[in-house]
Amino acid sequence: MNLWLSLLVGFKEIWAHKFRSFLTMLGVILGVASLLSMFSLTAGMAHGVREYITQLGGIELVGVIKQEVPVEQEYKWEISPGRTVADAEAIAKIPHLVSLVSPVVELPINIIAGPNNFRYEAQAVWPDYLPINKHNVAFGRPLSWLDVEEAKHVCVVGRLVVDKLWPDRPDYNAVGETVLINQRPFTVVGIFEFYESDRDKRRRELGIDKASAYSSSGNLRSPSSSSYSRSSSRYSSFTRKNSTVVMPISTAFYEFKSANVVGKEDQGPDYRLDRLIFQVADIDRFKETLDRVADMLRVTHRGIDDFGFDTREEWFERNEEYIRNVRASGGLIAGISLLVGGIGITNIMLASITERIREIGVRRAVGAKGRDIFIQIVVESAVIGVIGGLLGLVASLGVMKILVAISPGDNAPVLEFENVVISFSFAVIIGVVSGIYPAVKAARIEPIEALRYG
Amino acid sequence: MALIELRNVTKRYRVGEQEINALAGIDLEIAQGEFAAIIGPSGSGKSTLMHLLGCLDTPSTGTMTIDGMDVSRASSNKLAEMRNQKIGFVFQSFNLLVKLNVLQNVELPLIYAGIPSSVRREKALAAIERVGLTERVNNTPLQLSGGQMQRVAIARALVNSPKIIFADEPTGNLDSNTGATILEMFRELSRQGSTIVLVTHDNGIAAQAARRIEIRDGRIVNDTINPPQPVAA
Repeated sequence: MNLWLSLLVGFKEIWAHKFRSFLTMLGVILGVASLLSMFSLTAGMAHGVREYITQLGGIELVGVIKQEVPVEQEYKWEISPGRTVADAEAIAKIPHLVSLVSPVVELPINIIAGPNNFRYEAQAVWPDYLPINKHNVAFGRPLSWLDVEEAKHVCVVGRLVVDKLWPDRPDYNAVGETVLINQRPFTVVGIFEFYESDRDKRRRELGIDKASAYSSSGNLRSPSSSSYSRSSSRYSSFTRKNSTVVMPISTAFYEFKSANVVGKEDQGPDYRLDRLIFQVADIDRFKETLDRVADMLRVTHRGIDDFGFDTREEWFERNEEYIRNVRASGGLIAGISLLVGGIGITNIMLASITERIREIGVRRAVGAKGRDIFIQIVVESAVIGVIGGLLGLVASLGVMKILVAISPGDNAPVLEFENVVISFSFAVIIGVVSGIYPAVKAARIEPIEALRYG
Repeated sequence: MALIELRNVTKRYRVGEQEINALAGIDLEIAQGEFAAIIGPSGSGKSTLMHLLGCLDTPSTGTMTIDGMDVSRASSNKLAEMRNQKIGFVFQSFNLLVKLNVLQNVELPLIYAGIPSSVRREKALAAIERVGLTERVNNTPLQLSGGQMQRVAIARALVNSPKIIFADEPTGNLDSNTGATILEMFRELSRQGSTIVLVTHDNGIAAQAARRIEIRDGRIVNDTINPPQPVAA
């Protein structure tokens, strides 16, 4: 008997017992639906996390951090100047491996525009700081080398800073305005675009969280509620990025770091950096790059190992592993329900062959081999698996809709083709495997036994 | 050489601790074109013998050849092939598949013979025509009378042009008029050259066959040629 006929017989058999077949399939349907929804949820989570990491500079971003000197160097640690702009200049000279580098001095600032006065932390940096941190300028221009060389009194600020300083002017293009930073006048030369995760964007568009509602035209926002606008998306991981104030590092040194008065005594200018960040050009040569940078820094630090690297690789790996674990455990649970569905198929197929033992006898009597009976039963249970799998895929779309409706603010499930294939194949495999035992049993029935029955 | 040859065939069953000798040494030859009736009371071993002859089972000892092929130790697949190619069955309880229509029931042996669907259809329709049920091809067995069902079963037995047709109490579930028609059909097939082996416990039916093989307690006790019967039963 050829496969086509077996399929036909299988379909007929299922159609003949529509309700029973549907109940049997239900296990597979639910199993596939939960499996695929699970996969899509974790894919959505992974997507969200990766998006976040990328927004923060991606894994190419490496920070040079201060570290305890080794014991054998403790007696001479003072000969190291610590992290200075000279380090940044040295790293910038490494060809090919490092694409961008920027020293960072963090300044607590008081920023004033008109009557409004806020505390922020400013980053005094090189122009490379912006691309390293994936900053994009929406209005005006980014920092330039000329700003650094001439120590210009300019700054580029984040969207939330502008919103706070000019609360009654939504989406204000503040380029050209002068603000007071720690009593020194600075010209705003650029404004960053508004950063948000896909999830926040969706929230905002759906208008779920009134507080974080943001309208690009601004007409939905009254001046009185303006303080609740973008600034109050305090749950957002992007708030910090939207509150950035950057200025040339040279300006910061001249204006704020040239004297360091402790008590009544000036300690002299402070050239130390708070951070030193660079971007690895080729992620495949990550380790090599770090080694080269370390060599450089050992020169500028006069042989003292008082620095280390802060990479996101580990963080990224941790996240990936976490997502893998969630996926595996969720997949396991969904897999178990699929397995239960499979047991359901086995059970119903066993009942079915008992019911059809006479039919099996007749088929054997007219020349069906054990193999033919085996194939017939396996095909029938595979068909249940296939139909159940297809219905399960459709059902999972519904499940995902429900999940989104229940918590629209969370990462949206991402339906990946690969996961569809995995879930469906799982259903087919379950269908075939659960048919094997009943099929073996059916094939082993002796024809005379089967004919005598009933 | 005879179509069927049994040499000292025995069949033992084990029921719990007890061993039952269903057949205790059977020697039998049935030639091509014969119309034989196996008769005996219930428990005599006639059904066991029929199962052996029909390749539904194999003997415990002894040899059995059908159409020159030794089937006494044949594998289950080999037996299935024999049943498919050389044997047609007609059962007391018809044994039609109720989910299939008449045509599909008759086609069944051809499906397992791997015959392409167009040829299958043609052969099945020819067999159905021989039993006179052409206008019922699309009916399911449950829409037919007992006699019609048995005719479908006969068509199914004929469709593969088998060497032998086995009929196990073919009239047992039919009223006497219908039974007589069915018997007449077997006699007609016999006249057309088919080899037919009929199992019954009814002397009247056995008398209609050309040869009467009486079996009792697993042995053949009588093997006689019946006087020729008048055509009208």
